[in-house]
Amino acid sequence: MSETERKNEINRRQFLGNMLKTACGVGLVGLGLGAYSKRASSLPADYIRPPGALPEEDFLGACIRCGLCVRDCPYDILFLGEVGDEVATGTPYFIARTGPCEMCEEIPCVVACPTNALDHDLKDIEDSRMGLAVLIDQESCIAFHGLRCEVCFNVCPIRNRAITLDMQHNPRSGKHALFIPVVHSEACTGCGLCERACILEEAAIKVFPMHLAKGELGKHYRLGWKEKEKAGKALVTPDAEHRYNLPEGVRYDLQGEGLIIEGEAEETPFSSNPLDTLNSGFMDK
Amino acid sequence: MNICSLIVHTKPTQGYEVCQRLQVFQGVEVHGGTEEDKLIVTIEDEGESMSPVSDTMNALRDVKGVVNTVLIYHYGGEESMEEMNREIN
Amino acid sequence: MKLTRRDFIKSNAVAAAASVAGVTLPVSQTVAADADDGIRWDKAACRYCGTGCSVLMGVKDGKVVASQGDPDAPVNKGLNCIKGYFLPKILYGEDRLTKPLLRKTNGKYDKNGKFEAVSWEEAFQTMADKWIAARKAKGPKGVGMFGSGQWTVWEGYAASKLLKAGFRSNSLEPNARHCMASAVGAFMRGFGIDEPMGCYDDLEHADVFVLWGANMAEMHPILWSRLTDTRLTKPGCEVHVLSTFEHRCYELADNGMVFEPQTDLAILNYIANYIIQNKAYNKEFIDKHVNFTKTPTDIGYGLRDNDPREKAAKNRAKGKLTKISFEEYAKSVEPYTLEYTSKLSKVPKDKLLKLAKAYADPKKKVSSYWTMGFNQHTRGVWVNGLCYNVHLLMGKIAEPGNSPFSLTGQPSACGTAREVGTFTHRLPADLVTKKDAHCKFAEKVWKLPAGTIPRANGKTDGADQTDISGKPMGKTLIHAVAMHRALKDGKMNCFWVQCNNNMQAAANMNDESYPGWRNPDNFIAVTDPYPTVSAQAADLILPTAMWIEKEGAYGNAERRTQFWRQQVSAPGEAKSDVWQIMEFSKYVKVKDVWPEDLIAKAPEYADKTLFDVLYANGQVDKFPVEQVTDSRGNKYDNDESADFGFYVQKGLFEEYRLFNSVEGIPKKGHEMADFDTYHKVRGMRWPVIDGKETLWRFREGYDPHVAKGEGVKFYGKPDGKANIITAPYEPAAEPPDKEYDLWLCTGRVLEHWHSGSMTRRVPELYRAVPDAVVYMHPKDAKKRRLRNGALAKISSRRGEIVCKVDTKGRNKCPEGLVFIPWFDAGRLVNKLTLDQTDPLSKETDYKKCSVKITRA
Repeated sequence: MSETERKNEINRRQFLGNMLKTACGVGLVGLGLGAYSKRASSLPADYIRPPGALPEEDFLGACIRCGLCVRDCPYDILFLGEVGDEVATGTPYFIARTGPCEMCEEIPCVVACPTNALDHDLKDIEDSRMGLAVLIDQESCIAFHGLRCEVCFNVCPIRNRAITLDMQHNPRSGKHALFIPVVHSEACTGCGLCERACILEEAAIKVFPMHLAKGELGKHYRLGWKEKEKAGKALVTPDAEHRYNLPEGVRYDLQGEGLIIEGEAEETPFSSNPLDTLNSGFMDK
Repeated sequence: MNICSLIVHTKPTQGYEVCQRLQVFQGVEVHGGTEEDKLIVTIEDEGESMSPVSDTMNALRDVKGVVNTVLIYHYGGEESMEEMNREIN
Repeated sequence: MKLTRRDFIKSNAVAAAASVAGVTLPVSQTVAADADDGIRWDKAACRYCGTGCSVLMGVKDGKVVASQGDPDAPVNKGLNCIKGYFLPKILYGEDRLTKPLLRKTNGKYDKNGKFEAVSWEEAFQTMADKWIAARKAKGPKGVGMFGSGQWTVWEGYAASKLLKAGFRSNSLEPNARHCMASAVGAFMRGFGIDEPMGCYDDLEHADVFVLWGANMAEMHPILWSRLTDTRLTKPGCEVHVLSTFEHRCYELADNGMVFEPQTDLAILNYIANYIIQNKAYNKEFIDKHVNFTKTPTDIGYGLRDNDPREKAAKNRAKGKLTKISFEEYAKSVEPYTLEYTSKLSKVPKDKLLKLAKAYADPKKKVSSYWTMGFNQHTRGVWVNGLCYNVHLLMGKIAEPGNSPFSLTGQPSACGTAREVGTFTHRLPADLVTKKDAHCKFAEKVWKLPAGTIPRANGKTDGADQTDISGKPMGKTLIHAVAMHRALKDGKMNCFWVQCNNNMQAAANMNDESYPGWRNPDNFIAVTDPYPTVSAQAADLILPTAMWIEKEGAYGNAERRTQFWRQQVSAPGEAKSDVWQIMEFSKYVKVKDVWPEDLIAKAPEYADKTLFDVLYANGQVDKFPVEQVTDSRGNKYDNDESADFGFYVQKGLFEEYRLFNSVEGIPKKGHEMADFDTYHKVRGMRWPVIDGKETLWRFREGYDPHVAKGEGVKFYGKPDGKANIITAPYEPAAEPPDKEYDLWLCTGRVLEHWHSGSMTRRVPELYRAVPDAVVYMHPKDAKKRRLRNGALAKISSRRGEIVCKVDTKGRNKCPEGLVFIPWFDAGRLVNKLTLDQTDPLSKETDYKKCSVKITRA
C-alpha cells in the first residue's frame, strides 16, 4: 500500500513541478503533446478514466492536466500519465486490478475538476460509466464449472443490478446448481471492484474503458443476447475469438501479463516472520 | 493404425448430451467443445478387434443430436503397437 | 503422465480440429501433458466446514502443487467453494510456525518475556512442571484443554484419554461448545442419541426447504448449490428463509422473513399452534412415537453468578423434563396466535401463515436446516427442540425429504467433538461422565483401574473419588466459557489450546478471555500453524502439522466418516496435534497425578508415564509401523508412526471403535467400519453394520436397529419414543436500550473460514474480502451521520472496535440491527460480545447483544 502511495505522491509532485518548468518552454510542450496526441486516442485497455470523464476525445480537450482529481481522491487510486506512457501525458486514470474506484458518494474527484472534463452533472456515483465489466474468460471463471465463488457478485457495489447470478442446473453433477455471474451494462459503473477481487491469477472479469469498448464489446454483447435467444436460456458467452479482434494500436494480450500491474498492495496482512506478528501485540490497535 | 480428429457439430445446446452419447463408441474420445456445440473428437483404431475409423465416422453421423461431422486430421501409419506406445519424453 | 507417440499424434490431431472449430480446449488436454507428469493424486476431506466435500490433492516433490474437487465424491461431485479452490495455499503461508516458542527473559521462562525458539524437550518440560503443580494445587479443574471440531478423530480421542484418564480431569472442551452444543442438547433430550437422523440426500427429496438461522448460501456453499438445484428443477418446490437480517439465501427465497431477534421461539410455537388448531397433526404418529413434556422456564443466561439477570432467574440452568398430556401441550402453545406472533416477531402475517401451511400440508415433504442462528442462542436447546416439535407433530421426520437437520460449522464437529466426546461431560460414543456405569465401561476398554475417570459429581459406587491432593475429587465438570472465567479467577492455572483460535473466537475478550490468559498465575500453551491472536496471547506456542501433513479422519454433518493419508510433511520442527498430545504424556508420571489409593489398584503403573498407560497399553500400539500405500502402489509417509514406532492412527481408531463394537456396550447405534475400509471409500455414514451405511435413522428398512414391523423407533430412548418439549418465548439477555440502541449479530462470510487464520493467508481470498465491515441499514447509518464506506466506532458495554460501514453489501440488515463478521484479526468483534450462554447447553450466544455506533 505504502508503495502505491509513494508512487502517487511522486507522480503528482513531479507532474506539478514539470508543469512549472515547461511553462517556460512552450515550444517543447507543444512538440511533446503533438507527438503523443495520436496515441492518446487509443487508451490502453486497462487504463480507466475517473468517474464522470467525458468521451475520450472531449475529455482530452477539456482536461487541463492539473492533477487536482488525483490530489482529492481519498483512496489514492488515480495516476497521471507520464511522458512515454501510452496514455496522454498528465491525464488521470486508474488500474482496476490493483486500485479500483471505491465509489465515494461525494465523488471528490469530480468536485475537484476545474474544467468539467469530469462532468459536474454527475451527482450520483451510481450513474457514472467509467467503463464496463466484462466476464471475459468463462473457461477460467470457476463459477461456470459450478464452484461456489461469486466473489465479483459479492463485492459489486451496485448490488444485484450490475452483476446478477443466473442460477442453472449443473448437468454434469446432476444435483448441484451453477451460479453464473452476468454483468448488466445498464447498471455497471465500471468501478473495477470486481476485477480487483477476482480470485483467479488473471482476472476472468475485467473492466474496459467505455470508449474503447464501444465497437468491440458492443458487438460481443449483442452476440450474447442472440446466443441467448438461440439457446433459449441465459448464457452470455463472450466469444473467445473476439479477444484478438481489437482495434489497431491497442496492445494488450488477454492471456498475457503485460498490462496488469502486479500488486503493490501487500498480499496478506502478515509479516513473513511470525515473530513480528507475535511480538507486535494485537493488530486492531 | 489410424488416428483422426474431427469436429462434430451438434444441435444447439445439445453439446453435452451428444458428448455423453459418443462415449459409448470404442476408440472415440471427446476433447472439448461441449459448450460451443462443436465437439472436438478423435477416433482411433488398432488391430482387428475394432471397426475401421471410417465406419465409426459414419456411425457418428447417425447419433441423435449430431448435425454434421467434419474430418480435420488423419494419421495412418504402419507402426507396431510397441512403437506407438513407446514413451517419447 | 508419460507421453507416448500415440498421445503426441493425438494431441496434434486435437489441436488441429480445435483451431478450425475455434474452440479453446482446457489447457490440460493440449499442452499440459508433461506439466502433470509425476503428480501423485490422493483424496482428502476438505479442511473447512461441516459439509465434508472431498478433494483430490496433487503432490510432487513433497509439495502440494495441484488440487481439484473429487468428481467421485457423493457430496460435492468434483465441486468446491472458493475456499476449497485455494486449499493447497493454506499450507504455504509465509509465516508458518516451525519451532516451539516460549516467552523468555534472560534465557528463562517469563510470562512477560518475548517469544524465543526452544527445543521440544524444553517446551514440554516447562509445560509438564506447570501442569503437574497446577493439577496438585488446584484439583481437577486446575488444568484444562480446549480442543476442536477441526481435530482429526484420533487427535480428539488421544486428548480425551490424556485429560480424562491421564490427568484425571474433565476439563476438556472443544470449540464445538460454541458451535454445536445446543444441537447436541436437543438431540439428547428429544431422541436420546446425538446427530441428525437424515442425510444430505434430503436435499433432493424435499418439496419445501426452511432455513432457520442458517446462511447456507455462504456457509455451506456446496449444499446450497444442491438445494438451489432442487428448487430450480423440482416443480412446486419452495424455499422459506428466516433470519434476523437478509442474507444471500433470500435471493432464492419464495418466502423470506426477517424476524426480531429471539422471536424464533414464538414463531415455532405459532406453527405448532396452527397445526393443532387446524387438526393437521399426524395423530397415529404422535400416539405411537411421541411423549409430551415440558421444561422449566426462566432459566437465566449462563452469565456469572453475581449478574443481576442470574439472581433474578427462578430456575437457573434447570432442564429436567416433566411429562404432560397432549392437551396440556396444546394449551401451552395456544397463546401463540398469528396476531400475537406477527406483532412480536415483526414478520407480516401472510408470510407466517404461508410458512405454517407448508409444515402443516401432509402432502409436502419439509426439510428444516439450521446452524448458528439456532445454536448460538441463550435458548438454543429450546429452539432446536421447538423445531423438532413441529416435525414430530406432523410425523415429518426420519424419512427421505422430511428432515429436521442441524448443519455443522466445522469439518469434524460431529466426527471428533461429538462422536469421540471431547466435552467435559462426555466420553466416546454418547457415554457421559455423569453415569458411573459409563465411566466403568470406558475404564474397562482403556484397561485402567475402576475409578480412574473423574465422575461428574466426583463419586463412584456412592463414595468420593480421591484426588492427587488426597482430598475428595468434588464436582468436575467445567464448560468452555467457565474455563475462561476460571482462568481469570485463578482457579485454573494451565490451559492448552489446540486446533482453534480461541482468543479471537470466545465472547467478551476484554473482560474474560484476555485477562484470563494473561493472568500472571497462568501458563497458556497454544498449538497453532500460524501466529494467530491466540498464539499472540499465549506463553508457549507449539508449531503444528496441518490437515494433510498428517494422516487424518473427519466426520461431517451427515454422519459421514472420511479418511485421508499424510500427503506431505510439515515444515521445520512442526509436529501434529496427536504427536504433541502423546509426546507430552511422556513427561508426566502416573504418580504425579494419580493418588495412592488408585495406584494401589494397579501398582505396576506407579513409575510409568502417562504415555505407557494410555498409548503403549497393548491396544493403541498393537499395529506395527507399515508402509502406507494406496491401491495404485503410491507410497505415503506417516510421521507419527515413524516417531512412535507403531501405527498411531490405526491403533487409536481401532481402540476407539471398541466403544461401538465390544460386548456389552451401554449405547448402541454408533457402529463404524474398520480402519482400513475407510481408506478405501469416499466416506461412510454410520451406523455401519455389515459394511452397509445408514442413510436415514429410526425408520424401518433404512435403519438396521429398527426391527421389522416397528415402523419408526427412536431407540435412543428406553421406550423408543421421542420427546416433544414445550418451551415458551423468553426475551434475550441484553436487548437494545436507549444508549446501546442496536442489536449486534456476528457471523461469517463465504470467503473466510472462522477466524481467518488460514483463509486470510491466501492472497486471493484476502484481496477478495480484506477486512470485516459493519453491515447496517442505510437509515441507521444516516441517523449517525455515516454513509457507505465511512469509518464507524462500534461500542458495547465491554469494548469498542472501528470498522467501515457497509449499507449496500451482501447482508441487508433491518433498522435496529447490525452484522459484523468475526474473521478479521484486525477488528476483534468479540471485544463487543457478551459471554452469555444457553444455561442448558452452555453454548455462547454470539448473535444478540447491544451496541451503539458513532462516527470514528
